[in-house]
Formats: sequence, structure tokens, C-alpha cells
Amino acid sequence: MPLNTELYPEAESRHGRSSEAYRKAKKAIRNEWISGLTGAFLALFICGHLVIESSILFGKDVYQTIAHFMEHTVPMAQPLIFIITFVFFVHFVWASRKIPGKLHERKRMMELGLKLKKSKKQWNQDPKSDIKLRNHFETSLWIWQVRTGMIVLATGAFHLFLVMWNIFTDMGVKGQEIGLTAEVATNRVESGLWILYAILMLAVVAHMAIGVYRLIVKWLADTWFVRNYAKAFFYLLFWFYVILGAAAVIGLAGPWEGALS
Amino acid sequence: MGRTLTFKIFRYNPTKENDQPRIDTYEIEETKRLNVFTALNILRETQAPDLMFDFVCRAGICGSCSMMINGRPTLACRTLTSDLPDTIELYPLPFFKLLGDLSVDTGVWFHEMAEKVESWIHTQKEFDPTAEEERMDNATANKIYEAERCIECGCCLAGCATIQIYPDFLGATGLNRIGRFLIDPRDERGDQEWFELVSTDEGVFGCIGMMACDDVCPKDLPLLEVFSFIRRKLSGIALAKDK
Repeated sequence: MPLNTELYPEAESRHGRSSEAYRKAKKAIRNEWISGLTGAFLALFICGHLVIESSILFGKDVYQTIAHFMEHTVPMAQPLIFIITFVFFVHFVWASRKIPGKLHERKRMMELGLKLKKSKKQWNQDPKSDIKLRNHFETSLWIWQVRTGMIVLATGAFHLFLVMWNIFTDMGVKGQEIGLTAEVATNRVESGLWILYAILMLAVVAHMAIGVYRLIVKWLADTWFVRNYAKAFFYLLFWFYVILGAAAVIGLAGPWEGALS
Repeated sequence: MGRTLTFKIFRYNPTKENDQPRIDTYEIEETKRLNVFTALNILRETQAPDLMFDFVCRAGICGSCSMMINGRPTLACRTLTSDLPDTIELYPLPFFKLLGDLSVDTGVWFHEMAEKVESWIHTQKEFDPTAEEERMDNATANKIYEAERCIECGCCLAGCATIQIYPDFLGATGLNRIGRFLIDPRDERGDQEWFELVSTDEGVFGCIGMMACDDVCPKDLPLLEVFSFIRRKLSGIALAKDK
């Protein structure tokens, strides 16, 4: 028996591939792919980057050998810096669409806010109450992902520009090899940039760990990689790279340089 | 035994003139295996005869008594007071229309959602009441059964930050419903129809992945699993179409 479509007019509107609905659906999934894939790519890069960066803990010579290899023996740093910069900004544009900053979203938030205000707060929770309302870990994580994302956008953009500069110049020092040598890397961190690098490292590791957690839950939750494993993986990623990153920053800043050699 | 429980309950009746939203405080003695639903009944019988809250089954099947219990959307009938501190704060579910005190209208939203996702089996086959039922493999039947366990209590929507900002978002329960029909072999809706319905910012890609739905679902539905399944299924459809 064919469906009675009079009651449900939407039930018969099956469109072709050129229809508005299909294009909209296509765009939605493409947006999700772009933000997810660029995020996964950047996460992989950061994981490798921080490990290589930590070679400073084995001393300047080890660091310099690796740097020389990646810049001169096999010149991969030069194209990579442009690729990463490009992906970095693509990820920013596509992932930030999830931040409720569009006009209708702001309006909706204003509306909710006004409703609360109009109620004269007579039914607000007792400020002395020790019961935490709206206390949900993963929702807070998302808010922190937005915050750290903004920090990474500012500090990371500066870092990328600086690295680009370092890779292609001798920084005006006569007789110095062109590129991001161990000397350049430690000098710039020692000279006070460690503040920026400490902030960037914390933000980028938190952002990466939260993002990986979310990606796994979004796409793989029905495989063996269930949410509990994803959460354990999140903690592992976060703490491993925070400790490693902190050691690397302290290493580059001086005190721990060559601590493991 | 013998704890004195303090209930702080949101009170407001929109139909009453000049009624103002407020928090009223009540105290009752805790008894053995007391749940919040029973406590509310005791309160209504002894202290607040005009207290409004919903219930039907008292057994976690009807999904009527969902409310915010100490900041967590859940079913009053399945929440033992022994799991809660001495002070219990009760608010109605956000997002839904308030009928009064702790009672909200979940029905209208669920009806609209069911119409939006066309929550019925789409088939052109003529129904033959005398024929033997069609067979379905056990794994599929079990999956459908899992998704069908949703009791439409609305806790997943109350816990969802996304739907507060995008009221058109289908929410966990809507996506779960889509998943249920997506795996049903009797439903003849084609890939493209599913694609247009779910691959939108009101559908599965509106979800940010804050996982509160999964945390608060009183029936422990495999919501995240269903969403992952839908996401990958849609990706498969989109990639296949590109060829």
C-alpha cells in the first residue's frame, strides 16, 4: 500500500542530486570531514613534533643532528612548515564553525540570557549550596577546547611565523648555518620566549588530547575503541605530552638541557 | 536510617496569575529504599498539595518523571535518595515547555521529531495478514531492540548543550530513532533519502560530541555507538556518490 502522503507532505519530497537538500547535506558532511581530518593531521604532527623537540634533553648535539638532517640532508622542514601553516588555518576556519558565534546563535543565547534576567533570579540556586549544577566533564572539555583553540591560534600563528623565519635565514648571525639550529632554538627560548612556549605547549597538548578523544568517540564508538578506552587514551595523551613538553621547554630554556645524555 | 532530607524544589505555575518562580524548601525523614519519586508523593500528601510533577509507571518505563536532580537530568523513580546528599535540589527539565513546578511537556517535541524523521517503516509492500512474518537475522533484531528501548524521557536533550542553542537539532533521541530505521531491513528508504535527512547540521553533524546524552541516559542506550554508525554510514554514502 503506498504511503498516504497527504498527511505527511514531506514524505514524498524525494529530491534529485542537484537539489538544495542534497547540496546542503553534502556540504555538512564535507565540513565535518575537513575539520576532523585537518585536526587528526595536526594532532599526528604535534605528537611527532614534541617527541623530536625533546631531543634537546639529550643535549644540543643530538638536537642539532636531527635538525640538520631534517633541513639539509632530507629537506623536509621547508615544505612542511608551509603545509602545516596552511592546514593550521584551514582547521581554524572549519573547526570554529562549531563555536556558536553566528548571529542567530548569539541571538538565541541573548534570548536565553534575557529570560534568566527577566525571572529576577528569584529561583536561582542558593549561592551557598554545595551542589554543583551543570557539572559535566566532557561539556567542560569542549569549552576548554574552544579556549585552548583560541590560545593556539594566537601563539601558534606567531610560532609558525618565527619558525618560517628561522628555517630560511641565518638570523643575521654571520657564519651561522641557515636554519633552525640548536643554537637558535635554545637562544630564542632562553631570551624570554619560554613564557610563550610554555603557554603554547600546554594549550596545544590540551587541545590535541581533547580533540583526539572527541574524534574517536564521534567516529569509532561502535568499534572496539569504545568511549572508556578513548577517555583513557585522552588522559594518556594529555599527561604524556604535558610532561614531555614541559621537559622540552625547560630543556630549551637551559636548566634541563642534555639532562638525559 | 533517620536522615532528614531537605528538598529544595523549583515552584512556578505559569497558569496561575501573579505566580513567581521560587525555590521552596521541604524536609522529610528518609526511609529505607526511598526514591525521589516516592519522596515527592509523600511531600504532596503531607506538605505541598499543589506540587506538580509527572508520573505514570513508577518503574522507569514511561519516561514521565524525568527532572533535574541535583543538576543531573534523570528519572525520579529510579533515583534512590540514599545515593544523594542530605540536600536534594529539584528543577524541571530545561528545553521543554514548563507546565508547572517539575512538570514539562515532552510530548509535543517528541511528536514533531517523529514527524521530522518520519518515524515509521516506509514500504511499498502490500500487507498480507495471513502470510508468515518476514525473517530478520538475530543481530539486526537485537540492534533494533536496543534502539527501541528509548522511553522518550527527554533527559538526553536536557543534558545537551547543543540543542539549547540550536532548537532544530534532532538531539540524541532523534538520531537514535533514525539509527533504528536505518538498520531496519524492512524500511525501503534509500541511501539518498537518509543522506538528506541526517547529514545536516540539524542531524548528526550538528552534534559537537559533548557526550552528556550518553552520560545521563537512564536506559543506558548505546547512543554514541549509534551516532558513530550513522556518521560512517553517511560517509560511505557520500563517497559512493562521488564516483
